[in-house]
Formats: sequence, structure tokens, C-alpha cells
Amino acid sequence: MKQILFLLALCALALPALAADWKMDPGGSKLEFIATFEKNPAPGVFKEFDARLRFDPDKPAGGSLDVTIKVTSADMNIPDVNKEIRNKDWFDYAGFPQAEFHSTDLRRVEGNRYVARGTLSLKGAKRPVEVPFTWTAVGDGAAIEGELTLKRGDFGIGLGEWKATDTIGADVKVKFRVKLKKG
Amino acid sequence: MLRNNSDSWGTPAKLFHWVMALLIFAQIALGLVAVSWRLSPTKLDLYVWHKSTGMLILTLLALRLLWRLSNRVPQLPPEMAAWERLGAHLSHFLLYALMIALPATGWVISSASNVPFKIFWTIPLPPITPPDKAVADLFATIHGWLVTLLALVLAAHVGAALRHHYVKRDAVLSRMLPWRTS
Repeated sequence: MKQILFLLALCALALPALAADWKMDPGGSKLEFIATFEKNPAPGVFKEFDARLRFDPDKPAGGSLDVTIKVTSADMNIPDVNKEIRNKDWFDYAGFPQAEFHSTDLRRVEGNRYVARGTLSLKGAKRPVEVPFTWTAVGDGAAIEGELTLKRGDFGIGLGEWKATDTIGADVKVKFRVKLKKG
Repeated sequence: MLRNNSDSWGTPAKLFHWVMALLIFAQIALGLVAVSWRLSPTKLDLYVWHKSTGMLILTLLALRLLWRLSNRVPQLPPEMAAWERLGAHLSHFLLYALMIALPATGWVISSASNVPFKIFWTIPLPPITPPDKAVADLFATIHGWLVTLLALVLAAHVGAALRHHYVKRDAVLSRMLPWRTS
């Protein structure tokens, strides 16, 4: 009995610091990538992806962020381009239909700005990536937003003659807005 | 001689004629090579060159038309038959019309394909139609027919110029040549 009371007390103490689990609301969420094509922005989206977050904005340490991206849901708005990016030289839909990002290292930068350091697995390459994001509480839900720049060459996106970066640029900007609800 | 007179063309008119002649032949070659090239960075660059040259031609044509409208046009030789005059006027009209219609339809293809484009990698060209694959395909077909028509009219134009020079032995070709000042 004494032990149980002690455990309960411990739980009560620990409770405020327990990070909440957050689930993504796909309706209000968007994951974009913006490549460059002959010095023009060439935007695309991953229509299907999912994010799970264990996070306490006041105490980000101990939280985690897990994102899975259905690479095959990429849409760049140009039929010929969509046909091309599924190939081995680009995303290789057949070989690597899914990308993942996992982080267990969440830190506050300042105010509502945070950074998640983790590993991005994309097209078979695993690379350390820092994902900066802002946290905004909306009613009883929340939203995280951020952008980062990746080098497509780090993940073998664009092989062979496409490795050259004068036609299709090296940098790809990734922008996300994820609406979260407790779950 | 800057301005045209009733006998001959001035330097600006000759410059427009020959610079654009060169650009148009290069443009036809670029277009043919670009469509037949396998998909690669080179193909994408060829398209940027082709589209950029098209916009350059369209710009030069606007200036050329202004110059032509503000100048007199040298007369055709009086001994030309009515059908020859008609042919000359019709083919010149067609050349001007095609110099507008080809860049314009190209612009539609580029816009409807939703491919972002900067002229010579610098000046963004805004789309003139919303993205639509069916429209892009339709205008690509029209663009192809127009260039076929252009090739035919160009053949007639060059053939007629040579006939004027070597068969009829009049001044129609020589007065357009850059090194003649008469």
C-alpha cells in the first residue's frame, strides 16, 4: 500500500513534465519541396505523410518526432515531370517508396522556436538533419511549421547526368506545416 | 542610308531582315533538335535556348513592324505580273503572321505545360494560359503545322528572290543585300 501511494505520488509529481502525444491532422497539414529548374522554382508536394510528436513545449527534452513520408505521393504539377521523378535516377518509387525522419533530440532555440535533430532516411541514404520548427498552440490543438534546405545529392536524387546542378539545382527547400491534435 | 526609299531598303530594314533570317533558321534547327533529343539536362537547356530565341524574335519583330510602318516600302518592279505581285504580298504577309503565330503558340505550350521559364535564364516569362495538358498538346500540334507552313513559305520566299536575281535579273534581291548601298 505504502509503495503504491509512493508510486502515485511519484506519478503526480512527474505528470506536469510528461510530454503529450500529438497526432497529425492531415486536413490542415502540408509538406512541400521546392527544387529549382533552369533557375526557376519548381515546387512539389508529398500528398501523403504522417507525423507523430511527443512534445512538451516547456520541456522539449525527452520528446520525439517521427515522420513517415509516402514518397510515391509526390506531385510536381507537371504530368511529364511526375512521370519522370518515379524513375531510378530520381525518387525510385519501386525501390524506396517511403522516407522517414526520426528525432529524439528536441531542443528549444528561443521563444516558440525549436529544433529537432534526427536522421532522415530517403532513397536508402541516412543523413543527420536538423529540422527547425515553430510551435503554435491553437485551441486545444497545435501547429508546427518550418523549413529547411537539403542537398539532393546527399540522397542520390538525380543520378547520372542529372548529378550536374546547373539545370536542376543542388538545393531543395522543404517546407512543412503540420496541424496537431492530442492523441 | 537609314530610311527606305522607293528603290531600296535602308540599313535598319536590311539589318532586321538578315539578323531575323539567321535567328529563324537557327530557331527551326533548335526546335527540331530539342524535340527529338532524349530527356536529359541538354534537352532542357535546348528548350530554354529555343524559347528564349522565340521571345527574342517576337521582340525584334515588334520593332521591325514599327520601323516598316513608319517607312515607305520599296516598289516592286513595274514589269511584274499581277499574280507575281499577289504572291509577293501574300508570302510577305504570311511570313509576318508566322513570326507572330509561332512564338505566340510556343508561349501557350510553355504556359499550358506549367513549365516555369526565364528568358535566357534571366527574365521570367509569365504564363498566358492556365496549366492544361490538353491545351499544351493541341498547341504543340498547331505549332508543328505552323512551322511546316513556315518552311514552305520560306522556300517560296528564297526561291522567288533567286528567280528575281538570276532569271528576271531585276534588283529585288540585290537591294536587300547588306553590302549594296544603291
